[in-house]
Amino acid sequence: MAEPILVVDNLTKNFGGLAAVSEVSFQVHPKEIVGLIGPNGAGKTTLFNVISGYFAPSRGKILFQGKNISGKPPYVLAGRGIGRTFQVVKPFPGLSVLENVVIASFLRHPKRARAEEHAWKVLEFTELADKAHQSAASLTLAGRKRLEIGKALALDPTFLLLDEVVAGLNPTEVDHTIDLILKLRDRGITILIVEHIMRVIMRISDRLVVLNFGQKIAEGPPGEVARDPGVVEAYLGGGEA
Amino acid sequence: MKDRRLLGYLFVFAATLLVPAVVHDTFLLRVFTEAVMWIGLAVTFDVLAGYTGYLNFGHSAFFGIGAYTTAILMVRAGWHFAPAAVLGGAAAGIGALIAGFPTLRLRGAYFAIATWALARAIQQLVLIMDVTGGPDGMRLPAFLSPRFFYYVMLGLVGITFFAYWFLLERAPFGLKLKAVREDEQGAKALGLNPTKLKMQAFILSAVPTGIIGGVFAYWVTFIDPASTLGDLVSDQALVMVVFGGMGTLVGPVVGAILIFAFKTAFWAYLSDYEVLYIIILGAVIAGSVVFLPNGVLGVLPQRGRRNGPSPEEKGPGAVLPETEGGNSHG
Ligand SMILES: Nc1ncnc2c1ncn2[C@@H]1O[C@H](COP(=O)(O)OP(=O)(O)O)[C@@H](O)[C@H]1O
Ligand SMILES: [Mg+2]
Repeated sequence: MAEPILVVDNLTKNFGGLAAVSEVSFQVHPKEIVGLIGPNGAGKTTLFNVISGYFAPSRGKILFQGKNISGKPPYVLAGRGIGRTFQVVKPFPGLSVLENVVIASFLRHPKRARAEEHAWKVLEFTELADKAHQSAASLTLAGRKRLEIGKALALDPTFLLLDEVVAGLNPTEVDHTIDLILKLRDRGITILIVEHIMRVIMRISDRLVVLNFGQKIAEGPPGEVARDPGVVEAYLGGGEA
Repeated sequence: MKDRRLLGYLFVFAATLLVPAVVHDTFLLRVFTEAVMWIGLAVTFDVLAGYTGYLNFGHSAFFGIGAYTTAILMVRAGWHFAPAAVLGGAAAGIGALIAGFPTLRLRGAYFAIATWALARAIQQLVLIMDVTGGPDGMRLPAFLSPRFFYYVMLGLVGITFFAYWFLLERAPFGLKLKAVREDEQGAKALGLNPTKLKMQAFILSAVPTGIIGGVFAYWVTFIDPASTLGDLVSDQALVMVVFGGMGTLVGPVVGAILIFAFKTAFWAYLSDYEVLYIIILGAVIAGSVVFLPNGVLGVLPQRGRRNGPSPEEKGPGAVLPETEGGNSHG
């Protein structure tokens, strides 16, 4: 297999006495979709925040495309090709849907006219074009989650971190978003995705990484991981699915 | 659409060029000059307040730094007015760079307090220094041409307005600032460096304010710490911006004109009731915050106005990324 695009090496993130992420190591290879699962509070979002530069690791390091990126701020990492969505979506509520995506497009297209062109393409792709001039605050949850993906996509990322982009959607919208994610992979984007809905994660992931209480408890193909006694235990024990 | 608006601005600007041809009364021309000055102070205040959500209660410091730099260079070093005023602007810009570094990382309310305290510190400093004349202030060489000062002020404020229009409404910069205002953490994920953008806005606000201060000093020929470094500049600019409409370019202009007209009329007819003026001003502000959250301008139906929560409601938050543990299970 090719060189890994992301190497998480013995990563720990402490909040005071709490190890939200504890000595976690795994790799992601180009064009893979890797699912990151685990009960609530397992440390998935924290791991995302460390990889995307919102928190510096307490210990360990992260390599992206072979370079150590630990502690680099998010805006630098966006430039390097890391895009992310937020579990609690972060639209710029007072701005239009188009403006939201244009702002992200400035990263690769510093001229306004080119950025707008690019933003329109992203809006077509994410099927938000008909809502372009609405304020972002007026979108439904499904719309806001799609806008979240659209903004990350407008960065032309090589690597995308998706944090619960399906949660809270109805079944039709879920299928819709799955199609969108698979299309992204076909475009050559590598994806690390956090999702609680097993039907979704089993269907789209090439590989799963399972966290529990901040530690990696399993890793492997979805079918295998689902039968892993430790994983079953963590989910039943935590009362989560 | 935007271009038609620009034509409107240019038309209004051209019309104001004709004011001295019509207004021959010296006192009245002074009033017009001061109105233009307040438009400039309100617009510069709004670059930070409206576009980034940071209320700068030290705006007066930039004005005072510009005024004093100009006065010192002219009086103590024999400089000509124009280069002295330009250096006044540069000094204000450097002041912003130094003050912004620690303060722009703070959340909105702390920023307001910190800038207010810094402005007070500068005022105290000027009071005890020799080169500034301390509490006695400084007298500048008199140049008594009301027309000259009207045109200088108008040219300066006009250039500032059109430069802002280009940067904030046309170039990517304005949208980037709004992104930071709306959600600083979210903006970072899109490749924006919030601290750098806020710093640029701060300097963009400070430099013209400093030059305006320099023009003011030469115009009124006498400055002291109270008149140039007091709270008045910051407070009045804030009032004008809130009343006119924050986060727009035209709002502060409209607010400055209305508030200044009211103030001038009030002083002309009711100058015995200073307290009443303060009370009315306070009531107007309270009223406009409650009833006109987007200012006078917000009452007019317009395309492309923001309709989300205003920055005062939300505050420019430096909230950490979400870390919630208990929601959204499919
Ligand atoms: N900024 C923070 N400060 C303190 N504790 C945090 C912070 N962020 C997350 N945590 C804690 O870290 C643990 C992991 O949280 P999180 O990464 O959000 O889990 P997940 O996304 O898997 O549900 C939780 O116990 C959470 O309360
Ligand atoms: Mg989470």
